[in-house]
Parts: sequence; C-alpha cells; structure tokens
Amino acid sequence: MIKANSVTKVVNTSEGSLQILRPISFEVKSGESVAVIGASGSGKSTLLGLLAGLDQVSEGEIFLDNEALHNMDEEERAVLRGNKVGFIFQSFMLVQSLTALENVMLPAEIAGLDNPKALAIDILEQVGLKHRAHHFPNQLSGGEQQRVAIARAFITSPKILFADEPTGNLDAKNSEKIEALLFQMNREKGTTLVLVTHDNELAEHCDRQLTMNAGELVETTQSKSANKKEAV
Amino acid sequence: MSTSFSLAWRLFKHEARRGELTIILLAIVLSVAAVLSLSLFSERLQGALKSRSAAFIAADAQLRSDEPLDEEWLLKAQQEGLSTAKQVSTRSMVFNGDAMSLVDLRAVNNTYPLKGTVNITDEPFGEKRDTSELPQSGEAWVQSRLFQSLGLSIGDRIEIGDGNFTVTKVLVDIPDAGFSVFNTDPIALINLADLEKTAVTGPGSRARYVGFFAGDASDISNFNSWLLPKLNDDLHSWRTVEDDESAIGRSVASAERYFLLASLLAIVLAAVSIAVAAQRYAQRHFDPVAIMKTLGATSATIRKIYLYQILLITALGILIGLVIGFIGQQIVVSLVADKVDVSLDVWHWRPLVIAVATGATCALLFSLYPLLQLFSVPPLRVLRKDISTNLRSRGIQFAASGGAIFTLMWMYSQDLKISAILFVSGSTLVLGLLGATFGLIAVGRKLGSGKMGPWQLAWARIKRRAMDNSVQLISFSVTIMLLLVVLVMRNDMVSQWRSQLPEGTPNYFLINITPDIQPKLDRHFSDNGVKIEEFYPVIRGRFVSVNGEGVNTDVSKEDEPNREGRRGLGREANLTWSNTLQKENEVLEGEWHGDSDETFADGLFPVSVEEGVAERLNIQMGDRLTFNVGSEIVETKVTSLRKVNWQTMQPNFFFVIHPDAMAAFSPTYITSFYLPTERKAELTNLLKPFASITMFDVDARINQLREIVDQVSVAVEFILVLVLLAGSLVLIAQVQASMDERSQEIAILRTLGAKGRLIRKSVIFEFVIIGVVAGFMAAMANELSLYLLQTSVFQMQASLHPEYWVIAPAVGAVVVGILGAVGCWRLLKLNTSQMLRNMV
Repeated sequence: MIKANSVTKVVNTSEGSLQILRPISFEVKSGESVAVIGASGSGKSTLLGLLAGLDQVSEGEIFLDNEALHNMDEEERAVLRGNKVGFIFQSFMLVQSLTALENVMLPAEIAGLDNPKALAIDILEQVGLKHRAHHFPNQLSGGEQQRVAIARAFITSPKILFADEPTGNLDAKNSEKIEALLFQMNREKGTTLVLVTHDNELAEHCDRQLTMNAGELVETTQSKSANKKEAV
Repeated sequence: MSTSFSLAWRLFKHEARRGELTIILLAIVLSVAAVLSLSLFSERLQGALKSRSAAFIAADAQLRSDEPLDEEWLLKAQQEGLSTAKQVSTRSMVFNGDAMSLVDLRAVNNTYPLKGTVNITDEPFGEKRDTSELPQSGEAWVQSRLFQSLGLSIGDRIEIGDGNFTVTKVLVDIPDAGFSVFNTDPIALINLADLEKTAVTGPGSRARYVGFFAGDASDISNFNSWLLPKLNDDLHSWRTVEDDESAIGRSVASAERYFLLASLLAIVLAAVSIAVAAQRYAQRHFDPVAIMKTLGATSATIRKIYLYQILLITALGILIGLVIGFIGQQIVVSLVADKVDVSLDVWHWRPLVIAVATGATCALLFSLYPLLQLFSVPPLRVLRKDISTNLRSRGIQFAASGGAIFTLMWMYSQDLKISAILFVSGSTLVLGLLGATFGLIAVGRKLGSGKMGPWQLAWARIKRRAMDNSVQLISFSVTIMLLLVVLVMRNDMVSQWRSQLPEGTPNYFLINITPDIQPKLDRHFSDNGVKIEEFYPVIRGRFVSVNGEGVNTDVSKEDEPNREGRRGLGREANLTWSNTLQKENEVLEGEWHGDSDETFADGLFPVSVEEGVAERLNIQMGDRLTFNVGSEIVETKVTSLRKVNWQTMQPNFFFVIHPDAMAAFSPTYITSFYLPTERKAELTNLLKPFASITMFDVDARINQLREIVDQVSVAVEFILVLVLLAGSLVLIAQVQASMDERSQEIAILRTLGAKGRLIRKSVIFEFVIIGVVAGFMAAMANELSLYLLQTSVFQMQASLHPEYWVIAPAVGAVVVGILGAVGCWRLLKLNTSQMLRNMV
C-alpha cells in the first residue's frame, strides 16, 4: 500500500542545507498498522509529511496505493489525499468555526460524496458523539475533539490513515479511549495505518514499529501483539 | 449550490455569528458609512450653497456679451430645458428737470431674475423687502441715492435717454448688482421692452448684454458645450457660480475642495482599516486552509471558498454601511438644518455609487494580498505551525494597496492634483515610517536588554515584530495624519474666511470728498464717535501708452470688435498715490517706492501696478506707463508689482503712483467707516452737512457675506466631526486587530505566571511608544501635505503648525495608550485556559 524508496529530505537554512532525512526505504502492506517511533527531532513527523503527500521529497520515490506520489504536484497530491488518505493530528486540527458535524462532513464534501450529512451523523454516532454534533470545537473537551477528528478521518473510508501523536494532547484516561477507538475503527474499516508517536505502549498496538534516529530509519520490529496475532 | 459556496456560506454564517468577522465587517461598514454620509452630506450642502451663491449672479450661469445676444441661443437653451432671462446694462444719464445723475441702467425681461430676488423698500433708505414683481412698461425703479441726488419722490417723472419713465418703487438691490467701490452709480431698473425707446444703446454706447440660464447642471453643461464653439472670446464671457471670484465664490469653492478632501481622506481611512482587517482575517484562516488542503481540497476549491466568503462579507458590510451611513447623514442634516439656511433634501445618486464602489474596491483589492497569502498556505502547516505562507513579496502588497488608494482617490475626486498631493505625502510618510520603525527597533535593542520590566517587555515585543509593527505604526500614523490634515485645514480655512470680514469691517463708503471738506468731515465724524478709515486720494486718469506705444483707449466702438494694437484698460483708471503700502497688499516684484522723494533722472515717477492688471495688459517691471490726467501727462515707471486681496472690503487700486507725481492735481478722496447696524438712524445726521458727498451702503452685503461664511464654516465643522469620528473608529479597529495578535503572547505570559499588572503595563507602554512615534511622524507628514494643499489647491498662505508637533505625539500617546489599555483589559478578563483554548 505504501512504498518508500531511498526517500531523503533536505531543507535550506541560513547556515546552508540541512539533511533531515537520510535515504529511507520501507514498505507497508495493505491493512497493516505501522508505528513510527523515535526521539524528538528524529524526523518522524517529516517522514509522515512526505508519506502523506503534505510535503515534497528531495530525492527518492514514494508510492501510495501504487500511485507515484513523488511525481505529483500539490494539486494532484491534494486529490489523492482527498480520495485515499485520512488524518488524525495531535492538536486535533478541527476548523474552529465549524460545528463537530460540519467538521466531519468536510472531507466528504471535498471528495464530492453523496449525502455527506447522513454519513457524518452516522459516523459521529459510531464515535459516540451524535449528541454533540452541533457543538463547536471549543465547546468540546480534548478527548471529544479527537473523537470528532477520528470520525472525520474515517468518513471517506480512506485506504490509508496517518496519525500524528493522536494521544499526545490527552490525559491517560482519554488516551486509552482514543487508542481503543482508533484501532477499533481501523480494524472495522480495514485501513492501513501509519502512526507517529512517542508512546511505546501505543506503538505496541501496531503491527510493526519503525524506529527513527537522527533522520535515519534504524530499526524495524514486529510487535509482540502482532506476533501473537500471527500466531493465532 | 456548489460545495465551495455551501462551505463558504457555512463558514460565513458561523463566523459572523461568533463575532469572528466583526473586525473586517466593521472596517467595510465604516468605510461605506463614512464615504456615503460624508459625500452625500457634502454633495447636498454643496448643491445648497451653490444655489445660494447662484443668487449672486441671478442664475446658474451667465453669458455676457458686448453685442446683442443671438435669440437662437436663448431658444436652444430653452429647448435644453433651461430657464432663461435677459438683461441689458449700460451707464446713462437720468434727468429730473434740471437735476441729472449718471446711473447704472439695467433693463430686464419678465423672467429676471432666475435666482435670488429683487429687493425694494417703501421709502428711500427704508427697510428692504423681497418682491417678485418687476417694473412694468413706463416704470422705473431707482435706488435711494438717486432719490437723494435728484430730489425725487415716488410718482415723479424722469428721463432716461429719449424715454420718459415714472418712478414707482425705491429699489434696494438686484441679485447681480455686483460690488465695487468705484461702481458708484445708483441702479435704475426698467423693463427690457422700454429699452429701445431710451435709445441709450445706440452706436457708440457701451452696453453689456447678459443672458441668464438656470437648470440642471448637466443641461447647463450640454448647452455650454453647444454654445462654446459659437462664442468669440473678445466679445463673450461665460460665467457660472464656480467662476465667481468674489469672497463668497471663493469661500464656497474652497469649502467644496475641503469637502472633497475630507471625503478623499475618509476613503483612505477606510482603505487603511480594511487593509488591517483583511490581513488579520487572512491570518486567522491559515489553519482552516491548511486543514482543508490536507483533507484534499484543491487550490481552486480554496480560492472559490474564500472569494465567495469575501464577497459575502463585502456585500453584508456594504449593506449595513449604507444603512448606517444614510442614518448618520440624516442625523447631521437634521442637526445642521436650522443653522444652514438652505434646503438639504435633494437626493444624490453619486455618493451611493461612490460608497458602494469604495467598499467593494477596498474590500476586494485590499484583501487581494492577504488572500493570495492565504491561498499559498501549505498543507504541511498541519504538522508544523511555524509554516505560514509561501508568499514572501511585500512588493505586490504595497503596489496593489498604493495603486488601489490612488485609483480610488482619482476616480472620486476627478482631480489629479489633490489625489497626487495626498498620495505623495502619504507615500513619503510610509517610507519615513519604515525607516523610523527600524531605527526605533535598533534603539529598542539597547533599551530592551536587561531585567524584564514592563518597558523591556514592550520594547522586546516591538523589536520582535518589526514588520508587523511597522505596518501597524504606518496605519496609526496615516490615520493621525489624515485627522490632522482635516483639522488644521479647517482651522486655517475658517480663520482665513473670518479674517476677511472681521468685526468692525467698514460698511459704508464715502466718495467725492473734496480736499476742503476732508478735514471738516473727519472732525464731524469723530465728534459723533465714528471712526473714519484712511482717506485715499483718487483722480481719474486715462491710461494711454506703454513704453510710448499707444493702447486702445476707446472701448465703446461696437464696429471694432477685433481691435488691433495693445490692449487698454477699457475705462478711465482710478489713480491714487501714496507712500505707504495699503493693508492686504503685498509687493511681489520690485520694491515699494516708499517715501523716497527722488524722481527718476528721466522725469519718470515710480508706479506700483496690481499683478492681475499687469498680466492682462502685458505690463512688465521697468515699463514706462503714461496717463492723461485732465490735460496733463503723467509719466511713470513700473517699480513694483503688487498682489491685492480683492476679498477685503476696502478700496483697491490698479495703479498707485508716487505722491510727487500728483502734487499738481486736486484729487477727491474716498474713505470708509464702520457704523453698527443699530446706529443706522444716525446716518442722515452724519451726512447732512456734506451734501456733495456720495455715500453708499455695503452693510447688507457684508452681513450677507458673513452669514454665508458662517454657514459654510458650520458645514465644514460637521464634516470635521464626521471625519474625526470615522478616524477614531479606525484607530479602535486597529488596536482591536493588533490586540488579537497579542492574545497568544499574553496567554503564554499569564501561564508563566506574569502578573496582570506587568502585562497591562507592558502593553500600554508598547502602545504609548507607538502612539508617540505615530503622532510625531503624522505631524511631520501633516506639514508636508498642508504645505502642498494650501499652496497648490486652496490658494492660501502656507503656514507651519509647530504646536501640533507636540500635540500630535501627546494625543497619539494618550489615545493609542488608552485604546491599548482597554483592549488589554478585555483580554486579561479572560482566564488563561480560555485564552489558550482560543489559540488552538
């Protein structure tokens, strides 16, 4: 589903060019869940940005559902994102001036799906927030906002879901709930999940962990749970 | 409905309801309301004042001719929808038995006057009243002075030329009587049908034929375009209210220019506030755009969503602005209605169109750059908040904003000069401010180091946000500058108008005072407690040659319309002589001859010539001018050119000769005095011993002038208040906008445990610093604008205003500081978690 070949990222700064990703190659299969872990500044979010087509690679190739992301311009990448990709962010990234319902409807409308409102209500019900549909983000708690974000991410039934520290802004109790919800929805929809996190426990829930250090992919490990799953 | 529109509509609906569009909406509302109310009010007032001053030419336009007017022209004017009237005027002798007097004869048709009224009274020198009647055939209405000089009573018969007339009314005034100290002949008004029988306009006479026209400005202008090619410059002159060179005409003209200026400034104010608001609007939408792009929205979708949204905001802003502007204007009209003796009810469409165009142009053009910024926000911002936009060139922003402001000003004023002056001084201010901001930041770098007190925090903030602060500083300065220009211009203009006619301006003139009577008259008046102004000796002389080249002295030959040779004065000159330069006279070239008693070696005496007549007759410095006085020849040499203030009510002279040249002649004197209206009854007694002296009364005319000046001043004051109000609102909007940007920083400081007092003080200090600098820069730019405006547009004496160099920074500091404090207080009322939540 995702294929990265010798992907690098170099940025120009006032002190010259800086390589923030050294050549990275890996593959993620359809339906697989992968956690990208590593210390702050290790290049996790940069990698996520490149894989999701939010940023352009400096060198190398990225294929998303067999489509060559590295050859696309911003417009083509936007269309691809709209059709195949969902996102969840640490800071929720809800549009403050739209209600929960309207935030969830947004990707469906952009993708031109039929009856986005019904889809949104349905999925809000699945995340247990139907009763808060008409509230604005600043009227919701952090956990509720992230549930809205999850509903938004799944409304277009994306093939791939990218999550950037989805529990980073939440307390332990809410983190657990969100984790559970995220993986439950992921399983139900059969989505491929790429998740960036500091949280080893969260990473453990994924099939595989890619460990980053100073812009390099240093280790790939299979989760115990995944092994268990495989064993089962 | 397309997805983009429904999204735009939803965003618009929620944001409007949640108050997130308040600032940009307020800016548009303000601009539309200010422009509509100002221009509608000023257009109504201008119309009213114009119709009022139209009374002074008895029409909206006049065609003056040295030969009879073509009847076809008047017919054409009537076809164009204009009303017309005719007058023939000439000087003629009037006889009552053996007594005779020269009169200013006016023969008018039955439609005269088209504007203004004819005033009559029941007895000579009595109380005047309006009349809509005119002399019937065989009747003559004559002024009081003629009753006095010819010993007339109502019902007496007089002869004018070959015609006999019955004096039926005492004429006080006709609207287009004109005013000149030397135009001393009393007016006799007769019916135009009777003119022929007088035979006073035969060959050799000097008559002026006047056609009067009144109607819509557009009809008059159409008729004028049709007429213009048919006119002969030597014979015809076209005058409208605008060409009126009298004190009233000039006051009204400069008031009009002031209104125009004020409206232009309102447009600039509006533009500034919209620019500030649009910038803020765009910044607040960086995140939603990044989110939508991440979720798959293409650039085209984003463009559509935000263009729709801006259009919706603009439409709503314009709508509310029109309503508020109209109500505001109506309030002003009702306040002024009893102070300005004119009707303000006429509706004008132009201000409405201008207001809508201003709102739309400002909103769209000033949003252009912020919107381009918005469109270029990369989706990566969802991961990295520090990325805002890929668009870096501020050049586009400055070019678009500058171009938009200039185009608007030019479009609106249709006056390249006023627009260019304001634009150049505004641009100079902007450049100066950019320099000043960076200089300030350099200074602040030193002051801002050390322990974190409120001053250090304030400086640190200014330093950190150099570009934002410079934009903010510029908008504050431009606002303060515009307010200063409007305020100072109004003060200078009104005081100049008032100084033309100060209390105690002579309201009576005495002429034909012979040298033997002069001392007696002086004594008699002072015994009666009336102060006589200066006595000017006057002698009539014929201006005959320049450097030996004869000038046309005959003016009355109708058969020589295109005379060749050097142009003459066209009548006898009133020559005076003096060693001292008259009040309100200014030597422009050469030197005033003073009391030096030297004559020139070649027997030429110094003469000072008024600049206008010098230009008209092509007289240069050093030219030899020859006058015939009686049978004597007076040879003079031009030693100075003078500027004369024709707007003062005092005798003014084209030629002032060195007294030595005139020693041999016996002059008559002319003087003036002031008598309060309540002492008018004493006039007869005052003048009784001096039967040969002619007096004429300009009291009514002075009062009329003063009244108009007062009314125009009141109007100007209201305009000032409107602009000040608009400017204050713009300042508030600016502070609010910048406060919003500060909320994040305040939230962090609060979280870190900074006391409210420290934050409040630091914000106030920051605004005080910005206020002082903005005030000072505004005062400087104000001087530049005023200098250019006063010298090139308002034809006034330019002056410096050092008091504002202190007042403007002080007021800037106080007002901006207070606004900052109020804005800050609002933020500090929120609790920290609320603020932090709002930041997300």
